[in-house]
Amino acid sequence: MMKERSRIYVSVRAIVVAIALVAVLVPFLYLFLNSVKIEREFRSIPPRIIPFVVTLQYYADIFGRGGQLGSYLLNSIIVTLVVVVVSVFTGALAAFGLAKLRRMYRFIALAVYLILLVRFYPKVVMLIPYFILMRDLHLLDTLAAVVIAHSSIGIPFVVWLMIGFYEEIPIELEESAMLDGCDVWRRFTRVIFPVVLPGIATAAIMTAILSWNEFLIASSVVSINAKTLPVLVSGYISDKGINWGPMSATSVVIIVPMFVFVLFTQKYLVRGLTFGAVKG
Amino acid sequence: MRRRNVRHEVGALLLFPLPAVIIILVAQAFPVLYSLTMSFRDWALASSLTPGGFVGLANYVKAFHDTVFLHAFAVSLQFCVAATLLEVVLGFILAYFTMGESRALRVARTILILPMVIAPVANGTIWRMILNPQYGLLNAILSTFGARGPDWLGNPVLALVSVIAIDIWQWTPFAMVVFCAGLSLIPPELYDAAQVDGASRTRVLRSIVIPYLVPVIFIVLLFRIVDTFLVIDAIYTTTFGGPGFSTNVVTLYIYWQALRYFNISFGSALSWLISILTLATAFTLMRAQRRLQSSIWGVTQ
Repeated sequence: MMKERSRIYVSVRAIVVAIALVAVLVPFLYLFLNSVKIEREFRSIPPRIIPFVVTLQYYADIFGRGGQLGSYLLNSIIVTLVVVVVSVFTGALAAFGLAKLRRMYRFIALAVYLILLVRFYPKVVMLIPYFILMRDLHLLDTLAAVVIAHSSIGIPFVVWLMIGFYEEIPIELEESAMLDGCDVWRRFTRVIFPVVLPGIATAAIMTAILSWNEFLIASSVVSINAKTLPVLVSGYISDKGINWGPMSATSVVIIVPMFVFVLFTQKYLVRGLTFGAVKG
Repeated sequence: MRRRNVRHEVGALLLFPLPAVIIILVAQAFPVLYSLTMSFRDWALASSLTPGGFVGLANYVKAFHDTVFLHAFAVSLQFCVAATLLEVVLGFILAYFTMGESRALRVARTILILPMVIAPVANGTIWRMILNPQYGLLNAILSTFGARGPDWLGNPVLALVSVIAIDIWQWTPFAMVVFCAGLSLIPPELYDAAQVDGASRTRVLRSIVIPYLVPVIFIVLLFRIVDTFLVIDAIYTTTFGGPGFSTNVVTLYIYWQALRYFNISFGSALSWLISILTLATAFTLMRAQRRLQSSIWGVTQ
């Protein structure tokens, strides 16, 4: 009896997981197929899903002289790298100070919660004022404008994540360094920082995903030179025609690096995604 | 002794947050407070290049009489409730079914989280192609069964259903990974005890798994309620609010007001109304979550 029920359970489970896997993989596969499919096959009725003829023309086009994907790709890489370095460095530093200070002063504890609010308000609020600010600083259409905006969203996240990591460190570790006469800065760089490296890695990868994918704020402050990849693809959206080839190929270029990231980060993904609220 | 040691270091400790605080003040606090002051003034870029005079709460009052905004609010609520509920339920089912450390399950979990990390613009691209009425994958599949598929994004009702489905596709993985983490924190002794007592699988689910997961459910709710209510990416990249106003959610409406019509003051007032609502929701959920966490897990975190 029990065994019978268990067999039903196992098969239901296998079917549900299989359906979910298909639902996740088919759209990605379809995108990839469209990026190597010739136009005639998009337009045949019924449309040919699996291409008969495979072409790499779209990839050649978008990277070629007409597409200049290379320069946008470079923009995206630069922005993401700088955002990661700035957010993780300043965020990890801030969290170290705040983790200690918030136990001493109520107003600092409150300020820490205020930082959290950055995650929960609609980002459209900042678009116009940020645009005006960047215009007045003469930073419109520069990578700096994108970097500053992304960092300001990345930092609150790094701060919250890292406070959690610091608070897991046994106090004795720091105390013994104190007895050895280490000042705050040396305790941070020599003792604490090496211990929280997994946290740093999580923070780096989460901010990289954030910055690499973000397009709303980026598209509001860049126009020509500083376009990142998502801004480039959002340009295809108004396009009513079937310009699917280049659109798919560019999307594949955006997606692939994130897939590689996930393979490395899975272990810490949950903690990162929930601002440290759930420890995986 | 330790206290005093730390006290004399307060000055040094205050320097640590300084760079981060400067960036947040410049790029977050300034824009947000600027939009607050704008919401009490009268500024439409179409009629004036500089902000006009103070008008008190006029922009806020106007919001409550703006039928398009009220409609957008209703659309956002529908989106929020439907997407959050389904993501929580599906996310839990997937987490429960992929529990375990076998290689196959680990690979399955890795694949299942992929939608969550891709760029919203790429997500939009994929779904606009799948849902295309003439050449799209979905209608091609339907036609092999002899059915004529509809114009998914062109029909007002189907468009809303479609964008909700897109959000579910992209964000169910979030609920799943959080539930996976929650499940792994349940003490194994509880399962052992249940087995000794001869409890059935559903009994274990009802009496152990779900009660223990309540605080984690609140975390998922916190993130998904706020994010689905403020959704813009999935809609901006597919229907852009259409057809008509059928998928015009509040955030997109604010985007239109501020960045297309340049009604800066009105857009600011709308975004402050929405911010107050989402922040209050987030705050309430966080408090509830903390209380549940300490009462169920018996630890202070």
